[in-house]
Amino acid sequence: MAVLTAITSWTVADVQHFARRAGFGLTPADAAALQAQAPGAAIDAWVDGTGPSHDLTAFTAALATADMVTEPKVTASTTDPGSVDVALVAAPHAFLVDASNAWRNNLNTAQAYLAWRMHHNPYAFQERMALFWHNLFATGYHKVGKAALMLKQIQLFRTDGLDKFDDLLVTVSKDPAMCIWLDSILNNASGTSIPNENYARESMELYSLGADNGYNQADITQLALALSGWSFTLGDADYVPNPASPSQRTVADGHFKVYDGSSNAPDTRIYSGGLRASSYNMHRTGTVSLFGQTLDITTTAGGWAKGENALRSIVTVKGTNCSMFLAKRLLTHFVTTGYTAQDQTDVANMIQTAGFDMRVVMKTLLKSAFFFGSANRWALAEGPVSWIVRGAKMLCPPLATASAQSPKGYPAWRLFTNNANTFDQMGMKLLDASGPNGWHEHTAWLNSNTMRYRTKAAAALALLELNSSIPLFPTSVTTDWFPVAPANAQAVYDRLVALLQPGPIAATVSAAWLAALLPSPFTWNAASQAKARELAFLILCSPAGQLY
Amino acid sequence: MTTRREFIQTLGATSAALAGLSACGGGGHSSGGGNSQPPVPVPAAPILVIVNIDGGYDWLNVTPPNAGANLAPYQAKRATLGIDPATLIDLGSGMGLNPDLIGMNDLHAAGRVAWIPGIGMPNPNLSHFTAGDLWGQGAAVPAGTGWLGRFADTAFNASGDVLRGLTVTSDLAVMLRGQTRSFVSIPSAGGYVFPAYLFSGTTMPDAPLIETGWGDSLNAASSDLGYQAAAQAGKLFFDAQNNPAFGTGGSLTARTPTILYPGDVTYPIKRLDGGNLNNSLSRQFKLIAQMIAAGLPTQIFFSRLGGWDTHSNQAVDHPNLQRALGGSIKAFYDDLATITTSSGNAQDRVMIITYSEFGRRVQENNGGTDHGTMGLSFAVGKAVKGGLYGAYPDLTGLDPNGNMKYSAAADFRGLYATVLERWLGLGATSTNTLLGSSYTRMNFL
Repeated sequence: MAVLTAITSWTVADVQHFARRAGFGLTPADAAALQAQAPGAAIDAWVDGTGPSHDLTAFTAALATADMVTEPKVTASTTDPGSVDVALVAAPHAFLVDASNAWRNNLNTAQAYLAWRMHHNPYAFQERMALFWHNLFATGYHKVGKAALMLKQIQLFRTDGLDKFDDLLVTVSKDPAMCIWLDSILNNASGTSIPNENYARESMELYSLGADNGYNQADITQLALALSGWSFTLGDADYVPNPASPSQRTVADGHFKVYDGSSNAPDTRIYSGGLRASSYNMHRTGTVSLFGQTLDITTTAGGWAKGENALRSIVTVKGTNCSMFLAKRLLTHFVTTGYTAQDQTDVANMIQTAGFDMRVVMKTLLKSAFFFGSANRWALAEGPVSWIVRGAKMLCPPLATASAQSPKGYPAWRLFTNNANTFDQMGMKLLDASGPNGWHEHTAWLNSNTMRYRTKAAAALALLELNSSIPLFPTSVTTDWFPVAPANAQAVYDRLVALLQPGPIAATVSAAWLAALLPSPFTWNAASQAKARELAFLILCSPAGQLY
Repeated sequence: MTTRREFIQTLGATSAALAGLSACGGGGHSSGGGNSQPPVPVPAAPILVIVNIDGGYDWLNVTPPNAGANLAPYQAKRATLGIDPATLIDLGSGMGLNPDLIGMNDLHAAGRVAWIPGIGMPNPNLSHFTAGDLWGQGAAVPAGTGWLGRFADTAFNASGDVLRGLTVTSDLAVMLRGQTRSFVSIPSAGGYVFPAYLFSGTTMPDAPLIETGWGDSLNAASSDLGYQAAAQAGKLFFDAQNNPAFGTGGSLTARTPTILYPGDVTYPIKRLDGGNLNNSLSRQFKLIAQMIAAGLPTQIFFSRLGGWDTHSNQAVDHPNLQRALGGSIKAFYDDLATITTSSGNAQDRVMIITYSEFGRRVQENNGGTDHGTMGLSFAVGKAVKGGLYGAYPDLTGLDPNGNMKYSAAADFRGLYATVLERWLGLGATSTNTLLGSSYTRMNFL
């Protein structure tokens, strides 16, 4: 049974558990500061992003110089009229992911931008929920083809990720990247045309109900009819030309529209290009029979799009199934995979009681005695993006320090993500899910290849790896890790464990590490500080270091 | 000398020439003339290469009906995407071969291909992921582990054999996960060494010391599943990279195939748009060939070609995918002949098996096909008795959702049983235990 009553007091260890799961960890000092607050109010503020600790001023300012990698010059095309050179952008500079830079269409830059945000955003929960929803509504750049649209979807998760789930489901279904990803833009069921079932199937199987959980093939077909013609249009301003070759125009945005043959506003283009006075007619008219109910998908009410009533009925009619599905996903990501059927039912009931309001759901879950249960500490293998971001957060200088340094003390995330598709090899190609089912979590994160790349990433982080004289992770053993000189080898180990917060490491293991790396007599000098880096490496890539 | 065309015609004449209402099988179509050659004996050191055709491929357009009762419903339901039977290479039994599966016609004519249409399960699932898991688990009662993972549990040395099962994908499919053993994942030929940096293979300071620490950490007992998973995966990598085949910097001996693969600039067949057939399967096959040539003691390789979820744009995507698939298999097969191993010529040792999680709906949609049931597997190798096996589904008798029906003659676990017992050498009883039941073997081996 999942006890979902809220805790009324917490320890620093509780806070650290909470911050690892609901954010990307807290340093011992920051955890102690949060522990001084009552858990109820503190968790409310954490989820809502309110209060002084969530002041975004410094974070927002720092974004202007967050990218540590110089962007090379782009030479003008010799054949494309109007081409001009695009000047080199010296580091540090903003991640070039704003709309005006959509033409660069660089997945690695987009990945690095997200990693930087996860690392430094004081509203860590917003980034954590975006990561959670990105896994659930997994979408892939390799098909969408536009980094700007992928980032637009992530921003949607930030802004709408704590809405009611049915609202979020509708919003995601109208998102341009999703419309491309699962073929909504090609779902033509006008007249007697056979619909494309791709989105209808996955919206139930992967996004709201779970495989074979309360629907059948006929429901898939009927939902596909209801959602036929769901697509988007573009204005001229939504195409961003490459200044070095202006005929290359990249889609940066899109605007949802049901292609039902209705007239278009001026300056309206279809995704495949071309102005049109009216949309194609791809939407089925009449009614559908979904979950045993007859729904009119031609007329609309309350600002809903044609067919939206069918999509929303997944939650309203199949609420029990949907809540069980959401409970499973939330438990797996935030709590444990070792939940019982009763635990899942309890969380599902809570979701229904909360009316699928994700803000209420998350606050309830994250405050619960169940979440803080001792059995759930280090009960999950951490996803690789979260794992490396949390490591960076613990070992690299904090935002205030890093932004004041020259050069800036930020990780060179773009180098990290560029090299051999590091995120991909670690098991999570951020923004580019291989399929719509996203990434399986916990032990599925771990195989011999992902562990290989975790050890490489651990080396880059702990051992100060340079690339072209740029540190991937600028860390200082004396300033960042040990502001107070350790008195002995055990103190070195204890401090690193306090920072990195691995799962339990057997005393025999730590003793062997210390005996080999920091034998007596202990002196805190350059040599032992180098050994401290090696010790951090061992902790990071040890089995216990994969847990959180 | 009988021509290949005559060979194919002979197959057709001796076949029922009707819809596949009954099981094909027993290798009854493997004899003939042309370039067909008798199978070689199963080698003493067999190598199995699995190809996952990922996404649920529309095999109905790979080996479509070209005669018999299935032709009319096929043509009716594939009004725009259907393949003209006149363009097909006749495989017999009312089944043709799409020439876009390049190279496979030659292998077929040589008697090296066992086609298994209609392969599937009695409880087909139209979810990519559920169906993929069922295929991966391959059991009468699926319980989480994969059929090849369980083979590893059974046959691999408990503390060794770290390279015996290997995937060249960066993930680890369910099929390869056992209770106590899993396959090692090595998706590239270089830098396979611990410890290493991201940007170079430069040896770290105190590398031997770190290796000791790494080993110690793995020896720490913990009952936590996540800890165990990390420890086992890490140890697998750590042990595998110690194999002497990984030389300086952890790299396998470089190898440039003398055979052209799809995607090579000078490969003669291109995509529909004229571009090169760049594809991941060719790269994976080249890597596997390099591994075999380097002497890795690997018995089972796993590879994958994705992109087959052709809900849309099938008229363009599907031919390109077929060219990549067929061309890569043919190139790999030919490439193997140039490799001499300590246990003989590689081509004699390798059998390739393909599978996909499901087939696609017979009725096309607007430009594509949706999820369906039943599939097509095929086995390629010199020891294979070429011909048709399984049971081509009856397209005049679809299920209420318009999907193909299951036939026990083409149960996917029958394929597994055949491979386990007749290729990997597992005893009949152990094979049945591993799969949870006794499934009819297919006589292509």
